[in-house]
Amino acid sequence: MTAGTEAPTLGLTHQASEDTGLGHRGPQSKSIVVPYGFWLFVLSDMVLFSALFASYASLVHATDGGPTTSQLFDRKLVAVETMALLISSFVCGLAMITAKRKNMVWTQVWLVMTGLLGLVFLGIELHEFSTMIAEGAGPQRSAFLSSFFTLVGCHGAHVTAGLLWLGTMMAQIWNKGFQEHIMRRLLCFSVFWHALDIIWVAIFTIVYLIGTLP
Amino acid sequence: MFGRLTWDAIPFHEPIPLITSLVVLLAAGAIGIWVWRKGYAPYLWHEYITSTDHKKIGIMYIVMALVMLVRGWADAIMMRAQQSLAIGASQGYLPPEHYNQIFSAHGTIMIFFVAMPFVIGFMNFVVPLQLGVRDVAFPTLNNVSFWLNASGALLINLSLFIGEFSRAGWLGFPPLSEKAFSPGVGVDYYLVALQISGVGTVLTGVNFVTTILKIRAPGMSYLRMPVFCWTALASNLLVIAAFPVLTVVLAELMLDRYLGFHFFTNDGGGNSMLYMNLIWVWGHPEVYILVLPAFGIYSEVAATFSGKPLFGYRSMVFATLAICLISFMVWLHHFFTMGAGGDINAVFGIASMIIGIPTGVKIYNWLFTMYGGRVRFNVPVYWLIGFMLTFVIGGLTGVLLAIPPVDFVVHNSLFLVAHFHQVIIGGVVFALMAGYTYWFPKAFGFTLDERIGKWIFWCWFIGFHLAFMPLYVLGFWGATRRMQHIPDATWAPWLNVAFVGAAIIGVGIALTVVQLLYSIKTRDQRMDVTGDPWDGRTLEWLTLSPPPHYNFAVLPDVHGEEAYWTRKQTAIKQDQLIDEPDYQPIEMPVNTPTGVIVAFFAALCGFAIIWYIWWLAILGLIGAFAIFVWYAWRDEHEHIIPVEEVRHNARERRRIRMEHLHNLSQSV
Amino acid sequence: MTELDPEKLNVAPGVPHDSMLSETVSYVVGLGLALVLTGVSFWVASTGTLWGPGVATGLVVLAIAQMGVHLVFFLHITSGPDNTNNVLALAFGVLIVLLVMIGTIFIMAHMNSNMMPDPTQMNLQMQH
Repeated sequence: MTAGTEAPTLGLTHQASEDTGLGHRGPQSKSIVVPYGFWLFVLSDMVLFSALFASYASLVHATDGGPTTSQLFDRKLVAVETMALLISSFVCGLAMITAKRKNMVWTQVWLVMTGLLGLVFLGIELHEFSTMIAEGAGPQRSAFLSSFFTLVGCHGAHVTAGLLWLGTMMAQIWNKGFQEHIMRRLLCFSVFWHALDIIWVAIFTIVYLIGTLP
Repeated sequence: MFGRLTWDAIPFHEPIPLITSLVVLLAAGAIGIWVWRKGYAPYLWHEYITSTDHKKIGIMYIVMALVMLVRGWADAIMMRAQQSLAIGASQGYLPPEHYNQIFSAHGTIMIFFVAMPFVIGFMNFVVPLQLGVRDVAFPTLNNVSFWLNASGALLINLSLFIGEFSRAGWLGFPPLSEKAFSPGVGVDYYLVALQISGVGTVLTGVNFVTTILKIRAPGMSYLRMPVFCWTALASNLLVIAAFPVLTVVLAELMLDRYLGFHFFTNDGGGNSMLYMNLIWVWGHPEVYILVLPAFGIYSEVAATFSGKPLFGYRSMVFATLAICLISFMVWLHHFFTMGAGGDINAVFGIASMIIGIPTGVKIYNWLFTMYGGRVRFNVPVYWLIGFMLTFVIGGLTGVLLAIPPVDFVVHNSLFLVAHFHQVIIGGVVFALMAGYTYWFPKAFGFTLDERIGKWIFWCWFIGFHLAFMPLYVLGFWGATRRMQHIPDATWAPWLNVAFVGAAIIGVGIALTVVQLLYSIKTRDQRMDVTGDPWDGRTLEWLTLSPPPHYNFAVLPDVHGEEAYWTRKQTAIKQDQLIDEPDYQPIEMPVNTPTGVIVAFFAALCGFAIIWYIWWLAILGLIGAFAIFVWYAWRDEHEHIIPVEEVRHNARERRRIRMEHLHNLSQSV
Repeated sequence: MTELDPEKLNVAPGVPHDSMLSETVSYVVGLGLALVLTGVSFWVASTGTLWGPGVATGLVVLAIAQMGVHLVFFLHITSGPDNTNNVLALAFGVLIVLLVMIGTIFIMAHMNSNMMPDPTQMNLQMQH
């Protein structure tokens, strides 16, 4: 299927052996190996967030007499953030479609939109953080706030890193075109970006919605 | 300008670190100058430092591990000396502030910078060869991983010269490790070094799982892989699963220390028990990350030197995966006494006992492999048998500790210390020494001297037992771990025996160096001409020693378990090699300085963070990002090895193997 | 390749498809489902219609559904020549995530109830 035109991994220049019946044909091509390795990395990142969630869950009530979830979180802002990130994921998918068809203009358009929506998300989040800090509800106030800022902030840091990566990818595509290795990296970026949206689903559900239930 | 870094950071008033620093600097300087004058620097740069070859990277890991072993042992002998001297009225020669740094450094170095790199080094060198392929899935990433690990080691070593090390043990428990109780740079060195090397390790985990699942020789299905590759897979799955948790918990402690957060502080709602929980979520899988590949090494050694296939291959695979899974369900046994209550303690206690079962299955399988075989008592077999005797006892004390009421008596006593040293030394270290002897000829083309090898074994075996058996007794008598001063003079004879044991281990380590130098000097007497000095069973023995950069001229077709053995027996029976294949040019990844440069910036950034030199930290981050982008822009990823070179090397190998075949048939 | 092909639209989501339209459809459907599920989550959290204690569970279920939508429609987890390994890796990741989160919450809840000092003692300790 895809193996025919892809560059083989590491000089697999060997004639195909007889099929063993176990379906194993030798080292797989880079177009499979690279995204798989990146997928494993994304899963390790999920474990990272699970430890942050576990910390959050353990410390959510440790408010030290300070502000609690209900007093701090604004669901309307969260809804806007959620929309921004979700639509950002969607247009990232559109960018993958146009990139596959080597359409430079539309790919860059969709990627710019992905980045802009990501910036909107970050902007709202930074606004939320700075407001909380100004009100005296910064991460140094209590263990609950420490864990909140770390969990949500870590997600924001991942989004920031993703935007840096996105900028680099856009420059690379512009400069080098839709070569195989560039496409592989773009695929990895889109996997990363979608994964961040999955983490956000967990965050807004657990931290902002369940956290502020009456 | 320089944060909190001042001239006071250099230990002018502390003789031991000062003298050590001077000696190390002089030795490193001397070696550096010697390398430079002899013209070895370009060779080292091209052949090792920028290499993306898994074999070279594996060797670098192991060299780093052996060097750090010396420092780890030095810490150990200092502790033993202190405990022998500081009895009754005497305070020994190490005040508590120093003693505490030494036991913290000893544990940190031994786990993170000796055992881990040694194990990872073996997986690097051996796995692609055993899978019958040319390299790992991500060779450049492999190089980066090594150098990030080395950056961590560098920072730990710098703490001896500039500043101090942590006094909070190898796991840095709060509240002691919090800013309020450890305001100095020690804990920061610890945290930053482990975070940097931890990134390298996670990347290694991703690399090897991808390699083992996606890059194998044609015909090598999962159940035809050597057991060492199965154990490497299980170990790297655990790396991917566990190291992110370590990253989180150390980062949370860093946030507490640097930004005044309250994760684990006494005030503000912090909960230091959360740290214990999370750090052991990582810590328990970590020891299985170390021991599973060790079990894999024993499987290879047992089969090869018994001249028989490994007994119970499928049960070995199953046991390995069972251990991998259960190891993620037992972590609370490290803090039974913290107060979770009887119900939870029972759950984890039972799980901890269950994990002994698949381990037992493995022991039986090794025994049955040797039974009925014609065992050749080369040095690796000494280590194998030593392991079986030592590790089983260690495992039994482990099952004992898994019973919560027993653990309440001996938790954090010398009994515990003896247990974990027994399983780590008997299990992991003995395997590493066996693997070192076993695979050394493959890496360098000649075997190590056997006679000295046996002396090294006896030093470790006798030394270990002298050093740690007394500790079991002392543990029952109430001696806790990490004691700078010994309150009970009746303990003295036992501690003195332990000191002698540690010294004998030191002789073993020194002999390892002697063995290496002597073996190099007399290597002509022990050249590995055929590439198969041990009559091996797995594919790494198909190549010459050392293998060419690309490992195999043509990837071998695998038709069954023990791919190489069956191929060899067929060749012997037919008195000819397989037909000469059709050679093709081979694409291999290019060398890259990315790894060493990224690691340099990481170390710079890390050092700056430790000393609060913020402008330098930002510079380091920018540098690392810049080199990353520069790397991403390159167009040349691979170079081609011309078919003439491939054909020439392959025909040379075939010629040597034919000659060996003829010698075999003539001697029959 | 660009004509509306009714058969292609009937292809199950996630299966490899090479028409631009069906790939786009996959993302549009995914976006639509995600929007609906998100909207329902916010509504469930703010309305009194559901039985109180059930709300949290309902939100978790909705979140898992949303994650599933992302995995299938955006990440095409079920597609590709080697999807078994992808799914297995995901299952392994999910297992570890569950062990870490549930294990920690379970353990810390017991630790806190057994070991945390009561507030009067806590105030005494805090005076330093």
